[in-house]
Amino acid sequence: MTRFATLSHAWMAWDGPAPAPEDAALDHTKELDKFLAEVERRAFRIAQVSLRDEDDALDVVQDAMLKLARNYSAKPSAEWRPLFYRILENGIRDLQRRRAVRKRLMVWLPGPKEDPDEEAQDPIDSVAAGGADVPELLMQDQAMAKLETSLRALPARQREAFMLRNFEGLDVAETARAMGCSEGSVKTHYSRAVHTLREQLGEVW
Amino acid sequence: MNESNLDPSPFEERGRRLFDASLERVDMRVRSRLNVARHAALDAAQASRSRFFRVPLWTSAAGVTVAGVLAVAIWFGGPGGHAGHVTAPAENAANLEDLELVASSDDASAPPMDMLQDDIDFYEWAADKGNTPDSGNVG
Repeated sequence: MTRFATLSHAWMAWDGPAPAPEDAALDHTKELDKFLAEVERRAFRIAQVSLRDEDDALDVVQDAMLKLARNYSAKPSAEWRPLFYRILENGIRDLQRRRAVRKRLMVWLPGPKEDPDEEAQDPIDSVAAGGADVPELLMQDQAMAKLETSLRALPARQREAFMLRNFEGLDVAETARAMGCSEGSVKTHYSRAVHTLREQLGEVW
Repeated sequence: MNESNLDPSPFEERGRRLFDASLERVDMRVRSRLNVARHAALDAAQASRSRFFRVPLWTSAAGVTVAGVLAVAIWFGGPGGHAGHVTAPAENAANLEDLELVASSDDASAPPMDMLQDDIDFYEWAADKGNTPDSGNVG
């Protein structure tokens, strides 16, 4: 009887103030949905700048979303951003490594052809209808294209530091966690990246 | 943002603004695929959460059931019919075989326990014979 009394007390204590598990799971899912919706396009553009391929960038982002959801969604939401970008950067690096190995092994075969449509694409087509005027948007496109070209010429770690700090807005500590290095290294990589980019793009940019 | 978390320089500001503007020009095909990917990730998160909650319940329920079955088998399985009787490993194997024989009756219509009750005298006799020292010479 003592055991029953203990169990019933435990049940009452658990059943009282705590939210129902279904509600907690729903809130958690909504929070994760909001987070992923916030970062998905930014992550895609960051991956696209590094990989120069839309489909590869989409694959890497999709993979990062799945890994975060499966393995880390139970962690506090404040930890999601650096974790997500760490997974993303690892995915980008893995893909770049695979590409390099494939390039070395398959050097005697013709490489993948550049998409002629991509080259021939009219910049006006990519401009969203309405909003800012076309010349301004074209100028922005050209400036961004220059920045992307210069970013691709940077060493990988400098590029990562610049994109995470500047594009994604992570602070030094978050960037360090995302890159898996010390805060001092982040500061060094970022500073060198900004210096090189400023030299390359010049004052006109 | 110069090197630390300080205010960004105009150069850095411009880079950030250009990047943000480029997000608005991501085409609909990509947006749609990102949307699909997000929903797949949410499904994966829900599946992983429900697995997390369900598995211990299954294992605990299965564990209690298996433990109960084993306890009953051990309690009634001994030749003396109680747990106080210590049996040798060879005897245990024989008991398990007996249990299997009783359980796998040829007569599907008669439940094994009924058969055991019908022939209770025979089984008592067989148990007594099995416990006598010269039981190996019978037959």
